[in-house]
Amino acid sequence: MKRLIDLANSFYSKNKRLVAPLLGFPGVKLAGSSIKLAQQNHKEHFKVVSSLVDKFNPDIQFVLMDLSVEANALGLNTIFPPNESATVLKKDSEFNMDYLDLLRKIEFDSDGRLLSYVRTIELMKLNFPSDIMVGAYVSGPYTLAGLIVGAQEAGLMAAREPEKLEKICIFTTECIIKYTRLLLSAGADAVCVLEPSGVMLGPSHFNKFSAVNVKKIVEICHRENVDCVYHVCGNSMHLIEEMVQSGVDALSLDSKDTGVDLLVVAGNVPDNVVLIGNLSPTRTIVYGAPQEVKSEVRDLLELMDDFSNYVLSTGCDLPLETPLDNISAFMETGRNYVVST
Amino acid sequence: MSVLEEMQENVVAGNESKVVELTQKALDEGLAPEKILNDGFVPGMEIVGRKFQENEIYVPEMLMSARAMKAGMKLLEPFLTEAGIEPIGKIVIGTVKGDLHDIGKNLVAMMLEGGGFEVIDAGVDISAQKFMDLVKEKKPDILCLSALLTTTMGEIKNVIDAFKENGLRNDIKIMVGGAPLTDDYSKEIGADGYSPDAASAVDIAKELLSK
Repeated sequence: MKRLIDLANSFYSKNKRLVAPLLGFPGVKLAGSSIKLAQQNHKEHFKVVSSLVDKFNPDIQFVLMDLSVEANALGLNTIFPPNESATVLKKDSEFNMDYLDLLRKIEFDSDGRLLSYVRTIELMKLNFPSDIMVGAYVSGPYTLAGLIVGAQEAGLMAAREPEKLEKICIFTTECIIKYTRLLLSAGADAVCVLEPSGVMLGPSHFNKFSAVNVKKIVEICHRENVDCVYHVCGNSMHLIEEMVQSGVDALSLDSKDTGVDLLVVAGNVPDNVVLIGNLSPTRTIVYGAPQEVKSEVRDLLELMDDFSNYVLSTGCDLPLETPLDNISAFMETGRNYVVST
Repeated sequence: MSVLEEMQENVVAGNESKVVELTQKALDEGLAPEKILNDGFVPGMEIVGRKFQENEIYVPEMLMSARAMKAGMKLLEPFLTEAGIEPIGKIVIGTVKGDLHDIGKNLVAMMLEGGGFEVIDAGVDISAQKFMDLVKEKKPDILCLSALLTTTMGEIKNVIDAFKENGLRNDIKIMVGGAPLTDDYSKEIGADGYSPDAASAVDIAKELLSK
């Protein structure tokens, strides 16, 4: 499998674009399954993502986005509504550092649900056409720390007890690296680090608690010649430099509705860092009509015409209720677009 | 520097123990509770809001300031009640059904408290029925609805629709917010106001009160 930047450049040289929406949950509808089943059973999960590949043929297919995998493997209470993504419940007791010692005793990487994601990647790699990149997700170090101590508590800790939070993030990174190694062995072509809580931090905190740790995940991926992608939800304009400095191969950025200006980002990042984004998943793809989707995809592609390091995608994950016609409109417009250079 | 200026400074710095100490000092000096609120906490939190909007500070620093302000307010509240000082408005706030995220909602609640509102925090995963019950019981001026997930933002519309269907919509102003929401979407679903961030929430709530 080629690296993402080479593929993006190769498509660009033919005046084409890679088209890879962050697409998972709509496959549940297509496959007649439920999110709960797919997130707990690798065969069902594979059925869901296969249905997306069969119908839309994207250039990258990720597994279902699930920020509870690592936290759940660490024994944190998680709920599984039938058709919503699994959610980690807020801790009802105050965190103390002794709890971290308890978490260290857990055989994190032999957790059944975590391994079901690894098996799904194996099945995707074995069965998908070789020109489709198989993408895995891992939680970001700070986001996982927030799930362990509580999101608000993590924020307060960043300001009041940074040394403590740093230790927790080093621990979460060790867990994420174990998971990443399993995903790489299973054949993942790209590993995307999901750091939604990171958007709440200022640049120096983000660097300390997330980016320096993501750098370690990048190193593990690069040893296997695999791409590492950084995804931060919301307006991450103040964090772009730190994200790039982590050494990731690509940034997956949220929509302009959140404040992300892709053109400004493109002008500021090196051209060997791929930019993935950033059509509004909700305003446009969930609530818009196919014509609006087509028009906004064209506008976005035109905006990025001068940049070879660009992959057409959505700003964030598409929810279950996304109209399938709108995904088709997205794919079709992206595929038919001719870059004018 | 006066005690109130010092208080503002320490609210901005998020120095909880110092804010409590200064609140006590201001009370001991005989300052009116209303003056302590309006010339100490409120301008302090206004500075915090402005710094947040201008990317000078971020959520962790804002949380520290809000916590410091809350600690001071806890001390001040009985004196405000005793002096018959009414909050500028009453607000019920909660995260909609299916959504367990609360950090954004909590920040908005804290900023609104810092802005002089009485805030009743309904919590997370709140159904339309529960919001209606709370509004009937507490009679707030404004209902604030929050959703973080793309999958739950539709629930905000369901709550607004439920208020309409039950003839309660005209009794209340509804303000919405959360990461996936936009101003356009809030208008589309019939909300009265949309706040893009915690800092703007105070101004928007004040605007809604004056309508």
